[in-house]
Amino acid sequence: MAPVTSPQPAAIENRTMTINMGPQHPSTHGVLRLEVTVDGEVVTKVKPDIGYLHRCFEKYAESLGDYAKVVPYTDRIDYVSALHQEMGYVIAVEKLLELEVPERVEYMRVILAELQRIASHLLGIGTFGLDLGAFTPFLYCFIERENILRILEKVSGARLLYNYLCVGGLMRDIPTDFTSDTWEFVTSFRPKIKELNDLLTTNSIFIDRTANIGVLPAEVALNYSASGPMLRGSGVSWDLRKNDPYSIYDRFEFNVPVGQGEMGTVGDCWDRYIVRVREMEESLKIIEQALDQMPGEGDVKEAVPRRIRSKEGEVYVRTETPRGELGYYIISEKSGPYRIKARTPSFVNLSILPAISKGALVADLVAIVGSIDIVLGGVDR
Amino acid sequence: MVQTLKKSWTTFKTIFTGMGVTMRHLLQPSVTLRYPEERDELPSGARSKLFVHIDDCIGCKLCERACPVNCIAIETVQATKDVDLGKTSTGNPKRFWITTFNIDMSKCMYCDMCVPPCPTECISMVPEYEYSEYDRNNLLFQFSELSADKVTEVKEKAEKEQEEKQRKKKEAARKKKAQKADQTSKAKQKNSEG
Repeated sequence: MAPVTSPQPAAIENRTMTINMGPQHPSTHGVLRLEVTVDGEVVTKVKPDIGYLHRCFEKYAESLGDYAKVVPYTDRIDYVSALHQEMGYVIAVEKLLELEVPERVEYMRVILAELQRIASHLLGIGTFGLDLGAFTPFLYCFIERENILRILEKVSGARLLYNYLCVGGLMRDIPTDFTSDTWEFVTSFRPKIKELNDLLTTNSIFIDRTANIGVLPAEVALNYSASGPMLRGSGVSWDLRKNDPYSIYDRFEFNVPVGQGEMGTVGDCWDRYIVRVREMEESLKIIEQALDQMPGEGDVKEAVPRRIRSKEGEVYVRTETPRGELGYYIISEKSGPYRIKARTPSFVNLSILPAISKGALVADLVAIVGSIDIVLGGVDR
Repeated sequence: MVQTLKKSWTTFKTIFTGMGVTMRHLLQPSVTLRYPEERDELPSGARSKLFVHIDDCIGCKLCERACPVNCIAIETVQATKDVDLGKTSTGNPKRFWITTFNIDMSKCMYCDMCVPPCPTECISMVPEYEYSEYDRNNLLFQFSELSADKVTEVKEKAEKEQEEKQRKKKEAARKKKAQKADQTSKAKQKNSEG
């Protein structure tokens, strides 16, 4: 009789495990799936899986055959900062057609864009806090965002997808109480930033969860061609409004806040967060100056062509959205657009995620994704 | 030890600063609305539903062409000579029967691009936003007021007039040809006589 050998317990292997984060994960801000390889609690590899929101923007824009009809589609690229997407596209087409835009329209565009930047940052900051378990600031951010949306709704008629800018001008006249509404908002919003600082910025728990987490060195950021708060958080002062001014941004005085590593290392999650907070203050400064300088009268539809006659040519225009550099590359033929390409900051910034989340804890991965502030509409287009 | 105590103290302090902010908000009036009972007022020009004053429509199809998602479908029939469709409230003469004017609100993306081109300002956005339906087909809004009988009648009439026109055209052409032939034959005769 052969001796019965009890099966030896296999030596505990040091194996890694692959888990899914998303596509329905509350912290992925949309439909993003992350394939996370973890060794215990430590992340060894992250692979973002994108494409759930792909809507064929580029091909659709080309097939429409009319430059004016594309504008409502650009809204839907990055629905949190729709006006910036419109603005980039409209400026690109204007450059292609060599159109001059009236002063009043330019000022109006800048004011609206900066209001939208504040609204977008409020949402970014609010959801970032939400990811880390701070629910209250999220609600307070939304109260303020609501005030901006009210102004924008009064102006354009819609709350999220405005379709307010058109090639050569604006879709509607500016309402008479726009200036007073905006002044009211600007004065009421300043003290709220302090409140936000009390709630999040200086909060010890928040600092513990964000400082020294997801450090993105300036060199890596540049190599991945990051832009916006992602790049500025790493200490690189690069803002297209300052470095390559478009529209009338060269007329305003404002600073470019950069991350200085006040709570930890330069380029950590806290730095990216604080850049957004400080940018809101700078946006307020721009709005105040623009409101002072804006010409009181003028037809906003003066330069709008009745029918856009396409021209042959090639143009690339880049603008600074709340998330970074948005570029539109248009190749045009006599019959209409041949190629419209959108370079969205969300997509480029997301590609850094695998590089900076190596070695982080799973809980920190949530903070890192939140600090990138992606919009999946912008990633997938 | 000192470090730990310091850390604890800052944590304690910052938490209570945050609590203070929350406390202040608690004493402020509420910002939320209890939706079905309370409603916020929409600003003028809010984009929520398309409406067409069909009496003012002249059938130019400019809105149909401006729509990026093709949610507007218009069919028109030219009015015959014996009918006068009158004028719109803006004074434009109406020359077409609008046999179909359908707007599919399930396709509409509320971009407002169809409103500015309208020459008679008959298509517009109305501030009505509670029109959800269980069936998608109910979101197809038909604005044409002509009955099916009327449409066929109008179509037949228009076709007849068209045929008549064609016939007359042909006849005129034939006559012209005959005249020409006549003239040439006469000229030939003259030539031969001469």
